[in-house]
Amino acid sequence: MISLQLRSAPLPISEPLVMRLNSAKGPDLSNCSNHDAHLIDFEGETAEYEFRGFSIYVNCQNPEELDGDVVMLTPGRNILHRLIRKTSAHNTLLITEQCDQKCIMCSQPPKELHVDLFDAFSEAILLAPFETTIGLSGGEPMLHKARLFEFIAKANLARPDLRFHVLTNGQHFEPSDLAALKNIELSTVLWGIPVFAADPDVHDKIVVKSGAHAKLHESLALLGSVGADIELRTVVMRTNVNGLPQLATHLATHVPYAHFWAMMQMENIGYARMNWDTEFSDNSRNFSPIGQAISLAVTKGLETTLYNFPLCTIPEPYRRYSVRSISDWKQKYLPVCEACNMRTSCGGFFQWYPEAKGFAEIKAL
Amino acid sequence: MKTWPLNFRNSADGSVLFCDEAGGFFRSSEAFLERYAMGNLNNDDTEFLLRQGHAFSSEGDFQYVAFASRWANRVTPWSDLSYVILVPTLRCNLRCDYCQVSRVTEHATGFDWSSEELTRVINLLDGLKTKSIKIEFQGGEPLLNLADLQKVRDFCRSRFDHSEFVICTNLQSVTAEAWAFLDAADTHISTSFDGSDANHISGRTKTQAVHDEFEANLRNAISRFGTERVSALPTIDVNNPPAPEEVIRSYVNFGFQSIFLRRVNFQGFARKAYTFHEENQLWKSYYRRFITAIIAYNSVNEYKIEEFYLAHLLRRIFRGGHHNHVDLRNPNWLGADYLVIDYDGRLYPTDEARMVTRIGKMDLSIGSLKEGVDNDKLELLNAEVSINFNPDCMLCPYQAFCGSDIVDDLSRYGRIDLPKGQTYHCRSHLDLFDLAFELIYSDDGKVKSSLAAWLGVPDFCSDLAPSLS
Repeated sequence: MISLQLRSAPLPISEPLVMRLNSAKGPDLSNCSNHDAHLIDFEGETAEYEFRGFSIYVNCQNPEELDGDVVMLTPGRNILHRLIRKTSAHNTLLITEQCDQKCIMCSQPPKELHVDLFDAFSEAILLAPFETTIGLSGGEPMLHKARLFEFIAKANLARPDLRFHVLTNGQHFEPSDLAALKNIELSTVLWGIPVFAADPDVHDKIVVKSGAHAKLHESLALLGSVGADIELRTVVMRTNVNGLPQLATHLATHVPYAHFWAMMQMENIGYARMNWDTEFSDNSRNFSPIGQAISLAVTKGLETTLYNFPLCTIPEPYRRYSVRSISDWKQKYLPVCEACNMRTSCGGFFQWYPEAKGFAEIKAL
Repeated sequence: MKTWPLNFRNSADGSVLFCDEAGGFFRSSEAFLERYAMGNLNNDDTEFLLRQGHAFSSEGDFQYVAFASRWANRVTPWSDLSYVILVPTLRCNLRCDYCQVSRVTEHATGFDWSSEELTRVINLLDGLKTKSIKIEFQGGEPLLNLADLQKVRDFCRSRFDHSEFVICTNLQSVTAEAWAFLDAADTHISTSFDGSDANHISGRTKTQAVHDEFEANLRNAISRFGTERVSALPTIDVNNPPAPEEVIRSYVNFGFQSIFLRRVNFQGFARKAYTFHEENQLWKSYYRRFITAIIAYNSVNEYKIEEFYLAHLLRRIFRGGHHNHVDLRNPNWLGADYLVIDYDGRLYPTDEARMVTRIGKMDLSIGSLKEGVDNDKLELLNAEVSINFNPDCMLCPYQAFCGSDIVDDLSRYGRIDLPKGQTYHCRSHLDLFDLAFELIYSDDGKVKSSLAAWLGVPDFCSDLAPSLS
């Protein structure tokens, strides 16, 4: 597993500090900004970086793996957050841990406290590699929508090459947001929005919020009417699996402007771990409702993909809809995968995948 | 709740097909029609209509926005010229019975682009806004003017970010230079093969020896370039059609997966030699036999094949946004995203317009390279290219999937404004859509398996054929 946080010696700072690590020994002055830290020594497991005349000590195995990473230090803490890893396609900024839904499969359960890091994030993205996509997640980032819209609009001006993937529950878009939405370059933002069922009661039960389904559809229509890029996301669980074919027809009919639909397998962490025994739906045993949903949605012109499904748990005709979706830092393979010929095109498993109560049929292909 | 307008049509089995203007459809009964017409919808009706997207609760709600989006997706947007059909020569080395364009003999003079015309072609291409170009070389036999093909291709490759070339060739006589020219990843071959050796010889090659040359060239092309870059389509004479099974066998044998069944075209030479009266019924029954044969073939073979046009109609029925086939779309804008440039520099809105003009029926050219586009004429033609407000089409359940073909109307009837229901285009498409919906509502597992293959999905689910009792 790739670590997103590294131990570091605390610094006497009062604001979050953002810098880019340069691990080639000796400063490369040709690419020097005042946000660049340069490796000057590495001994034992401690890398020493020079940054504006100070030394930053970072605990790591190999500083070369950190080369180009954009990192953040916060006041009074000895943790260095790797915000944007240069070699990764899975960089996500955690906007807030607050949320107004309590989805039964949430992998990142909400917390009350919010610390506004938008200013640090604005500095960080200036240092990101060219044409990177950066995830903006939570919690529910739209709880701080004024700051979020402002952050994206500023980023569009400073770094028009960057794209954003915002994960939102679609509960907080209002007609009064139209002006702010028009102020951002919509083609740079993909809005990832979960819809769990065509049946409002089933959806509301899953997100533990009454009226959520109705509000979600108002938000989708609002985003659709301004031409926003929308990714519909559905985690497959026992509560909603049999309704997936109806959901496919529902989405193709009522959200036809969505760019694509992703059906996702559960991630055994957070609330999902608590509810795993009652909600994990083993598609290696019963793929039928998922298969039907794919055929329905694709026939009706809604591009559909599968996230987090190991290829061996998908019947062959449907494997082409699967994409390698599990982020590099939390992905693993099982011993049985050693002999598999499809491994390079398979996303594998989450680090915290529980083998003992996971898929019944896992095999090398 | 408000219901979007529903058009309807009786099906052969006594049920009634209902369609809205955004392409949503369902099957129901005369009893529902009565309830709908009289405003007596029951709770089951309203629940179904809302769920299936045929109604909305209040203006601007999510069902309303969704319908607007689906409707808009059915409309072909006006777009910049990016598909140019070029006719560098009218000369040809075959003399097919049903030649569409009155080609001239191989050694005739004055039927190729002059150097001035070639320069004008290049200048026109150079002035385009598009970054991506598709060039189709027609003829005559375009490989007889290889030098001009080469010049145009070289220019496009240097001028556009992406360029693609289709050579519509009879593959009769391919020189070493022509093979070298065809051997490029951006260059595709489109040829004719009439489905059986006997039919191809009778209509085109005339002798076995000439036919053998063609067949050897087609096999060579496929083995060198693969069926991704080589396609063929059969022209069928309804009075002497090859057996569907034989056409399928021959095409599969070549490695083709798609067969675009084309009737002898009404335009060009063909209209002199062939009768077109009373043959529509013959064509309809042959086409149906052909589809039945394909479904039977697919039911016992892993390698599924399609009849291109029916598969295209099915894709248009289920999805919006399928505007890439210029023969059927709405509005079918003329002189917009594609254009034909003849050997003499005349401009035409479609290849059929070139054929109609060539036989002296009427002048459907829309200008020339030298004098530019005749915008008045183009405007006149474009006034009739939308079927949205045509009195016949407005009531047709197939409107959302269909399109117009005013060049065909002009060619057959000499006028643009004949009631659509009386046109060949309308009648033949009613038959085709009737067939498509028969298949969609079929309970036969073999039919479903073919539908899934044609729509490019693993399974054809019954939810795709909604019914309201």
